[in-house]
Amino acid sequence: MQNPVYNSHVKLLAFDLLSLTQTPSPSSSASNPVISFSLRGIPISRAETLGTVTYREYKPCKFLKFSIDDGTGLVNCILWLNQLTSAYFARRRSPPDVRLIAESAAHFADLIKLGVVARVRGKLTNYRGTVQITVSDVFIERDPNAEILHWLDCINLASKCYDVLPLARQQRNQKSDTCTSTSGLSNS
Amino acid sequence: MDFLESVDLKFGELVSLHDLYPSSPFFKHEASLRIIGKLREYSAEAAIATVADGNAVLKVNVEHLRDLTFQVGSVYQFIGELLIQPNNQGILQARVGRNVDGIDLNLYYQSFLLLRQFQADHLK
Repeated sequence: MQNPVYNSHVKLLAFDLLSLTQTPSPSSSASNPVISFSLRGIPISRAETLGTVTYREYKPCKFLKFSIDDGTGLVNCILWLNQLTSAYFARRRSPPDVRLIAESAAHFADLIKLGVVARVRGKLTNYRGTVQITVSDVFIERDPNAEILHWLDCINLASKCYDVLPLARQQRNQKSDTCTSTSGLSNS
Repeated sequence: MDFLESVDLKFGELVSLHDLYPSSPFFKHEASLRIIGKLREYSAEAAIATVADGNAVLKVNVEHLRDLTFQVGSVYQFIGELLIQPNNQGILQARVGRNVDGIDLNLYYQSFLLLRQFQADHLK
């Protein structure tokens, strides 16, 4: 079934993001665990969150870990800063590309300070069982109404887009069928 | 602090200053809260800011917020832990704070009611 949001940055409130269903992918192995994520039956791979930075742990040339508090939960984020020393990047990208990516990541790391309101986009990953965002993009919001507009965006998108996708409807129908058959059993 | 410890760090639950009275479910010692209010008084010596929303008032300990400038009459948002004192007065120990002058407070309170409803519906 076609899934138009799989590669989109799905706008999610923290409580929703933290309750995503996590399933080991068929390509997963013990040495290389690959987790797939779904939101009420819809497979997703990327997310966007917005909130106040309340935790920051910086390891120069390695990573910046930080947490975003949006008033409904806390989203852990990791921004990798090891591109210049990483064999992974050396194998896959040209040296000028790696330099650009490293510069961009270092710039994002400078922007993330305690107390700022950040809009963060990235891939969904798993760290010790908890969903986190592996950051690809950071934008600092200066409009004091930005968080409110993000809440309203998330509520609106959930009710008018994500929850009405065929896969989400299918899962809801399956759930209601299960409930009906269970209640039927208890009544008999 | 390890990143895993940050998982133990709680998010600040959205509350109005009017929700913070002794019998309220939000009025708990060490509850992590996010509040918003207009600065009524500020003591740099004691590092205490007093914020208000209408007739609801809360003291905020801002000793950890060295980079924030305080201006009476401006609107501030704080995230931190509520500490209930022996006289049953609450004081918020702020972890982060910012000036939110220009915020639409009517939209803020209406949206957070919608948000609470949305969360309740989706957590069923």
